[in-house]
Amino acid sequence: MRALIVDDSRAMRTMLGRMMAEFGFEILQAGHGKEALAVLEANGRPDVMLLDWNMPEMNGFELLVTVRGDARWSDLPIIMVTTETEMAQVAKAIEHGVNEYVMKPFTKDVLLSKLELLGLVAA
Amino acid sequence: MAESRQLCTFVVDGLLLGIDVRQVQEVFRSQEMTAVPLADPSVAGLLNLRGQIVTAIDLRTRLGLGPRPDGIDPMHVVIRTDDGAVSLLVDEIGDVIESGDDVLERPPETLVGGVRRMIQGVYKLAGRLLLVLDTETALTFDVVRG
Amino acid sequence: MNEMDDVVREFLVESNEGLDQLDRDLVALEQDPGNRDLLARIFRCIHTVKGTCGFLGFSKLESVTHVGESLLALLRDGARRMNPDRATALLRLVDAVREILGHIEQSGEEGDGNYDALVATLTELQGPDAPAAAAPAEPEAEPEAPAKNMGDILIERGLVEPEQVAEAAEEQKKGDPRRIGEILVEKAHVPPHAIVEALESQTDAKPGSSVADSSVRVDVGLLDRLMNLVGELVLARNQIVQHPIVGQDGMLAATCQRLNLITTELQEGVMKTRMQPIGTIWSRFPRVVRDLSVTCKKQVRVEMEGKETELDRTIIEAIKDPLTHIVRNSVDHGIEKPADRVKAGKPAEGCLQMRAFHEGGQVNIEIIDDGGGINPVKIKAKAVQKGLLTQEQADRMSDREAVNLIFAPGFSTAEQVTNVSGRGVGMDVVRTNIERIGGTVDVTSVLGQGTTLRIKIPLTLAIVPALIVSAGSQRYAIPQVSLVELVRVDGDDIPRAIETIDGTPLYRLRGNLLPLVQLTHALRLVANRWAPPTDRPINIVVLQADGVTFGLVVDDVNDTQEIVVKPLGKHLKGLTGFAGATIMGDGRVALILDVFGIAQGAGVAGKVRDRSIPGESLQVADADQSVWRTLLLFDVGEGRRFAVPLSSVARLEEFPPTAVEIAEGREVVQYRGGIMPLGRVADVLGCADSRDPEANLAVVVHGAGRERVGLVVGRVHDIVEESVTYPPETAGRIVAVSTVIQGKVTDVLDVGALARSFGTLQTYGGHGG
Repeated sequence: MRALIVDDSRAMRTMLGRMMAEFGFEILQAGHGKEALAVLEANGRPDVMLLDWNMPEMNGFELLVTVRGDARWSDLPIIMVTTETEMAQVAKAIEHGVNEYVMKPFTKDVLLSKLELLGLVAA
Repeated sequence: MAESRQLCTFVVDGLLLGIDVRQVQEVFRSQEMTAVPLADPSVAGLLNLRGQIVTAIDLRTRLGLGPRPDGIDPMHVVIRTDDGAVSLLVDEIGDVIESGDDVLERPPETLVGGVRRMIQGVYKLAGRLLLVLDTETALTFDVVRG
Repeated sequence: MNEMDDVVREFLVESNEGLDQLDRDLVALEQDPGNRDLLARIFRCIHTVKGTCGFLGFSKLESVTHVGESLLALLRDGARRMNPDRATALLRLVDAVREILGHIEQSGEEGDGNYDALVATLTELQGPDAPAAAAPAEPEAEPEAPAKNMGDILIERGLVEPEQVAEAAEEQKKGDPRRIGEILVEKAHVPPHAIVEALESQTDAKPGSSVADSSVRVDVGLLDRLMNLVGELVLARNQIVQHPIVGQDGMLAATCQRLNLITTELQEGVMKTRMQPIGTIWSRFPRVVRDLSVTCKKQVRVEMEGKETELDRTIIEAIKDPLTHIVRNSVDHGIEKPADRVKAGKPAEGCLQMRAFHEGGQVNIEIIDDGGGINPVKIKAKAVQKGLLTQEQADRMSDREAVNLIFAPGFSTAEQVTNVSGRGVGMDVVRTNIERIGGTVDVTSVLGQGTTLRIKIPLTLAIVPALIVSAGSQRYAIPQVSLVELVRVDGDDIPRAIETIDGTPLYRLRGNLLPLVQLTHALRLVANRWAPPTDRPINIVVLQADGVTFGLVVDDVNDTQEIVVKPLGKHLKGLTGFAGATIMGDGRVALILDVFGIAQGAGVAGKVRDRSIPGESLQVADADQSVWRTLLLFDVGEGRRFAVPLSSVARLEEFPPTAVEIAEGREVVQYRGGIMPLGRVADVLGCADSRDPEANLAVVVHGAGRERVGLVVGRVHDIVEESVTYPPETAGRIVAVSTVIQGKVTDVLDVGALARSFGTLQTYGGHGG
C-alpha cells in the first residue's frame, strides 16, 4: 500500500508520513501540486493521496481537479487535509471528488478512521 | 510516672472499653443506615452525618463478640481518624473517666484473641477493668469479604 | 519522544525561513497594499505555522497565528484593506511568532510571554474598515512586550532585585506552578499588597486584561465546604422540585424553576473554582525523575507541555499516584541505559515528555518516552505463559492490543527485578484507579522508539446524572454514562424471552444475546444466580462499560437525578462493586454502582478486560465439549431443521440484502469495523434456498477477529436445552449427528467444520475489532 502526501510543509509531511507508515503505508511525497503530478507520472497510482489545500505553484484544489480529470487517477482515493478556516471550501472539494477530509490538528485515530471508511485499512 | 488522660468509655457485650476523649467527635443514638453488600461483616453501614458519608463499624463484630441481642439500641461513637470520621457502634455509653496516676498495664492473658489484639492496655478501676481500645488496629482490616 | 523532536526541529527551521521572507513581504505590502501574490504568500506562511503547531501542542503559537490567519484571510480575499495599523499589528505578530519559536528552540516550551493584548488587537483589526480603522492605542512602545509582566513592574518600582525575579522564574521553569508574584511573596522578597498594586497597574494598562492576573487565592478547605454546600443545595433542590405541592401551585412552580436554574449555575460556578492546573502535581516529577535516573544510572530529561491544563482538584488528587507510577515505570523500564541508547543510535539522554490538553470535555494526559518500547512478541509470550491468554488468542491479537496487556492484572514486564517499580506490577492498579474516576488509559509503543501512555479523564466528577434503581429494599445509583436502555419483560413472557445457559441467564434483545446479572445476586443478597419473579414484570437495565454489554436485573427502576458523588471511606475502597456513595433527597445514603466491577464480579466480563481480548465476551465457552447442552434451532429456508451448539455462536445478527458486498469473489458484510465473510448454510448442505431474496438475512456469527464468519440461515426458531452426545467418529463432519428435537428430526451441525468449509478471507483481516 502506498500513500502520496502532498503538503508544502516538511514538518507536516514528516508527521503525516509517520502516521501513515505506522498504518503500514509506503510513503511518497510532494511539496506542491505540480510535484505531485510528476510523482504520480513516475511512480504510478498510489492507494491513497493526502492533500493539503494551500500550497504554492499548484494548490490542492487545482491538483484535485487535474487528477480527477485524468482517467488514470480518476478513482484514486483522496483525503483532503484542511484547517477550520478552509471548512467552507470543503463542500466544493467534495463536489470535485474528494473522498474524505480531516481537519488540522487531528489525531492518528481520526486519520485511521478515515482510512477505514475508505476501506484502505481494516478496523 | 503515668500521664493522666481522659477516656470516653462505652460498653460492648459487657466489656468496658475506652478511647481518648480527644479522639471522639460526637456521640449519638443510632440512626438509619444503608447496608453495604459485599463489605466486611463488621461494616454496619453508611450514615449521613450532616452531608458527610460516614462508615459505621460494629465493634461487636469487629472484636469477635456475639451479636447484639434484640432490644439494645446501639449508639454511634464518631471518632476522628486520618481518613475522616468513622463511627463505632457500641451497646451503651459510659462516663468520661480520668485515668489519674494509674499505670496502663498489659492486657491480661484471659482476654480472647480478637479483643486482646485490639487493646492497647488496661486500667484497673475499682472492681472493673477498663480496656483502652487501639483504634488504629481496630479500624484496620481487609476491606473485601470475598 | 525522539521522533517528535525531529518534527519540531523541522518545524522550527521551516517556520524561521518563512518568517524572514514574511518580514520583507509585509514591508513590501505596505507599499503595494493590493498585491494578491504577496498576501497569498504571507497568508500561507502563517497558515502553515498554525496548521502544524496544533499537532505539536504549541497552544500559544496556535492562538496568535489563528487570529493572524483570520485577519490575513480577510486581506487576501479583499474583504479588508491593508493600512498602517494592520501592518504594525502583523509585524508584531511576526515578532511574537519568532519569540515563541525562539523559546521552543531553547527549551522545547513556548515561554511565559503574554500575547493576550496582541490577540485582542488582531481580533479588533478584523472589524469593518472605515470606522474601526482607528485601532486601539498600544500602551507599550516595544512590540515584543505586549503586556508588562509582574517581574518587570516590581523591578521598576524598586521593590525587588532583578536576580530575585530571575530566581523565581527559574523555579517556575523547574515546574513550580505558582505565579512569579506568589513565589516572591513566599520568599518574603515583597509584601503581598505590593503584588496586588502591581496587578492593578497591570490590569489598568492592558485593554483586555487576562483572567490569570485578576485572580485571588482561596483556601482549598473553603472550596471543599462550598462544594459540599452546593451538593446539599442540589439535594434540597431535588427534594423541593419533586414535592407534590409544587405541581399544584403555579407561583411555586415558577419559583422552583428559577431555583433550579440558579442552583445549576451556582453548581457550575463553584465547580470552576475548584479547577487546578495539572502543573500542581507535575511539579514534583522533575525531581522524582532526577532521583530515579540517578538510582537507575540513566540520563533522563523531562519536558512538560500544558502544565496550565485544569482539572477538578478531586481528580488531580486521584491521578497523582497513577501518574507517579507511570512516570517511574517509564524511567525504570522504558528509557534505556545511556550505553544502550548510544548503541541504538539515540542520544545518551532519554526524554520523558508529559503533555496535557483539553479535548471534547475531557482532559488528555500523555506520558511519552523515547525508550526501547514494548515488544509485543515478548508480551504475548509472557501472557500465554502466565495463562492470561491461550496461544490462539495471542496469535490473533494485534500488536496494539498486545502492548495493552501490560494493564492485565498480575502482569509483569521487566526481565530483571529492580527495586524501583517492583516487577511491573501495579499497571493494573493504575488502570483500575483511572477507571474508578471514569477515565481510560491506553498504551501504544514502537519497538526501539518509545512508548506513549494516553490517559483520558473527565474534567470533574463531583456531580453526575444517575439512574436510581432498587434491589433488596435498598436504592442504588447507576451513573448514566453506562446506561444504554431500559427493558421491561412481562411475567408471562419471562420463560420465553429469557434462556438460561450453563447457569447464565440470557435475554434476546433484537437478535443479540444479552447476559443478565441479577443485582441482588451480584451483591450476594440472594444466593440464587437466577430467580426471576413469575407474577410481575422484571426490569432490565442494559448497561455498557468498557466494551461489555449486559443487562442488570433490578427490582425497581425509580428515576434519574443529579447525584453528588462522595467517596467511600477507606474500609470500603477495595470493593469492586461500588464507585462511591451519594445522599438522596430523603437524607439517606445510597451506594453508586461501579458498572464494570459488577460485570466482572458476576463473570460477564472477562478476567482480562474485553478490549484486550477481542470478541470473547459473549462466547459461552465449551466449544469442543462432546456434550452440547444448549442448541440454537433454525432452518435454511425449507422444511428441514438444523441446530448448532449455542456455545459456538458469538452473536445473532440481521443484515439487509443491500449490506452484502462481494470481495475475493464471495459474499461479505461490513461488521464491527471489519469485513466478515458470509457462508450460506443452504449451499453447503445442498438444500434449496427458497428464502425471499428481498428479506433480511439472518446470520449466525461464529468466531472472532480474522476467524469470524457469518453463517446465513433461514429463520432462527428457538434456543433449547438438549443434551446431545457428540459421537467422536463424526469429528470434522459438518452434520455431526441427527436427533429429534421438539418432535422434529434435526441435524446438529459442527460449526467449526462448517466454517472451515467456507474458509477465511485472504486479504481482509482486521486488527480485531
